[in-house]
Amino acid sequence: MQLDTKQRLTELSIKELLATQQLDTKPQVVERLAVADDVRELLPDSGLVRGRIVRCSGDAGLSLALSLCSLATQQGSWLGVVGVEHLGLLAAVEHGVALERTVLVHPPKTSREWSITVAAAIEGLDLLIVAVPERLSVNDARRVQTRLQSRRAVMIIVENTVLSQSRSMNGSNEAQQFLADVVLDTKTKSWSGVDRGAGYLQHRDVRIRVSGRRVARERNYLVTRSC
Amino acid sequence: MPAPRRLAVLRCLDWSAVVAAKNSTTPCAVIHAQRVISRTPAAMRYGVQVGMRRRHAQALCPDIEIVAHQPSRDRTAFDAVVRVVNELVPLIEVSEPGLIVFAARGPSRYMGGDGLMALKIVEALKTLVADSQLTDLLVGVGVGDSRLAAQIASHASAMASSSANLFVPYVVEPDKTNEWLAPQSVRVLGEFANINRETISLLERLGLNTLHDVCALSESILAGRFGELGVELHRLSRGDEQYPLAVVPHPPEHLCIEKFDQPVSDQQIIINSVQRMAVAFTEYYSVHGSVCVRIVIAFESEAGKRSERLWYRPQGLTTSAIIENAKWQLEAWLASQISGDISGNPENHALENHALENHGLVRVQLIADEVRTDTARQLRLWGGSTQTDETASQAIGRLSELLGSSAVQVAKWQGGRDILDSYELVSATHVRTIGSASSSDQMTTQKWRGALPNPSPSVVYAEPIQVQINDQFGKLLSVNARHELSASPVVVVIGSTHYKVNSWAGPWPVEERWWDLARSRRLVRLQLVCEKITADNVSQILAMLAILEHGEWTVAAIYS
Repeated sequence: MQLDTKQRLTELSIKELLATQQLDTKPQVVERLAVADDVRELLPDSGLVRGRIVRCSGDAGLSLALSLCSLATQQGSWLGVVGVEHLGLLAAVEHGVALERTVLVHPPKTSREWSITVAAAIEGLDLLIVAVPERLSVNDARRVQTRLQSRRAVMIIVENTVLSQSRSMNGSNEAQQFLADVVLDTKTKSWSGVDRGAGYLQHRDVRIRVSGRRVARERNYLVTRSC
Repeated sequence: MPAPRRLAVLRCLDWSAVVAAKNSTTPCAVIHAQRVISRTPAAMRYGVQVGMRRRHAQALCPDIEIVAHQPSRDRTAFDAVVRVVNELVPLIEVSEPGLIVFAARGPSRYMGGDGLMALKIVEALKTLVADSQLTDLLVGVGVGDSRLAAQIASHASAMASSSANLFVPYVVEPDKTNEWLAPQSVRVLGEFANINRETISLLERLGLNTLHDVCALSESILAGRFGELGVELHRLSRGDEQYPLAVVPHPPEHLCIEKFDQPVSDQQIIINSVQRMAVAFTEYYSVHGSVCVRIVIAFESEAGKRSERLWYRPQGLTTSAIIENAKWQLEAWLASQISGDISGNPENHALENHALENHGLVRVQLIADEVRTDTARQLRLWGGSTQTDETASQAIGRLSELLGSSAVQVAKWQGGRDILDSYELVSATHVRTIGSASSSDQMTTQKWRGALPNPSPSVVYAEPIQVQINDQFGKLLSVNARHELSASPVVVVIGSTHYKVNSWAGPWPVEERWWDLARSRRLVRLQLVCEKITADNVSQILAMLAILEHGEWTVAAIYS
């Protein structure tokens, strides 16, 4: 009899424990940076979760990365743009990036120096847009990722667009040092606004494929973006 | 009550413009963010004022010489003046290029009065001015009981000297500062005491037009309306210093003196040790709830020579400010020593390295001269600078250390028709108010006439890529005098890759600065939507901006 009650007690406590644990996990607070309405649906957690890596690839990658950053910088986060060549600042402003909280950093392309620079940027900046050099070693990449997770920053990887070299245009086939949590692969379908000399570039239809290890099922979106 | 100290201010009017001007007769203006920040007296005669827009200045004076703002140039040029004054007055404070502050009591007693002292200093400067062709320079000296009074007096002296063509020092009698300040307009607070323009305008709207009006109100009323700022306003207008000084025990010796066993001649090593000390130094005062506003940095060489200079910053000296000042002082000192060595014995062709070896440093010292309670740097909950800004500016400092200041940049609005022109990239270390909402964001919405329509390209090449744009017969596309294309573009060749043109917009002509042969530009812009078929039969669509200039097509930007 005594044993029975004891058993029941333990059973009960285990159940309670489970229940409380479930309660704890259920509203699971993920710290995230806010993103603008037009890109929110693309992201699995409807925001940029701190400590994660997002990769924006394809031919609309840079403009997508800029619009991901816009709301967070307006709300006081700092953005570091590391190693991205030829960034159009006017485009960044039009996407809503607050330039007074944006720093442009040009590190050397060697693996060690690049990773030290990015690690230093992670220390103080909430958001990073980076272009990864080809020769970054996997070890250095892992170190950067660990630092990123412990400092709760968000890193967005873009590609440096290089014309005339067709090799880097389809760079997504290359070995990637960073394992991105969310991959947004973009592809421009068509541009509208120009007509054989008349008008000007206004909108484009972009196919965005969302994948990555934090995404349950790969999804495709067809969106019209103003740039 | 201790006797009020007397301060003398030596002001070189519009220093950066005077230095930048190639010769004294041509008018010259220094431009920063499209606004005049300094101009020579010659330009002033045309009516060019500080704060004017560049175009306005050019309209008033068509052959004005426009020079970009370059703080380092002003600094190096000012070292000569500093050296001359330093021979007469041992301890001086260089607030900014063009402005020297020193305690007046000692020197004026030695030289027989404030007026005589001022004359003597200006006499000494005259020989320098004659040597270095800065004949346009206007120098003013003002002496007063408070920093504000001395600053205003020096400005008045410089203006008087310019109209009378003869140097007139301006001395505010001891203990008369209060009465002397009373009739001054409140605008002097903005000009000389870093009070922001909105506050000044508010004071004027409240009917407080002179410092007397501000002073007549009780301190508590001003504090009730403006908070901390109100107390400052009252202190300034009654002739006190802006901040009350705090008494904090001096930091222990090991924090602020560094002795080298071996004389050090490498500048980087010295700066590194200054940095170490500066961090400990500011940390010490911040623990005591105070901040150092005036500091003496002293270097001592192996030969027993010393360099001592005062540095002042009303907002309080941060670690980076101390390092920056130490660097300036050290560079100037080493340069003067080397030149002194070479000129001293001309037979001995001493190389710079050799001279440096003789002047290895053995001692670096930081001495706090003025300390005040740290009130103004409270981080705010809303608005102002936040914790994020603080950590970010630390990270930016660290990045600039790692990569050099030129590799870490922030953007500044400057305006322009070209996509590259509209923002200027400046080194992050040169920007003082980082993260604060500057005037730039009010102006960004204004687009220049003739600028490209939105959206803007997100990839902009600093050096455009050479391309060929051909029509259907393979002939290079051209534009006639009426800005019409010779044919429809059909193919774009970049390197060895061919892109098929789907559609295009334009051409939009730009003719800039046609009145100036050296800087004029004539070009035509074209937006192209191209398609490339890759090897695995996937089409890739690319929108780009092509420019035709001097008969050559280039790709300036890509809508990525």
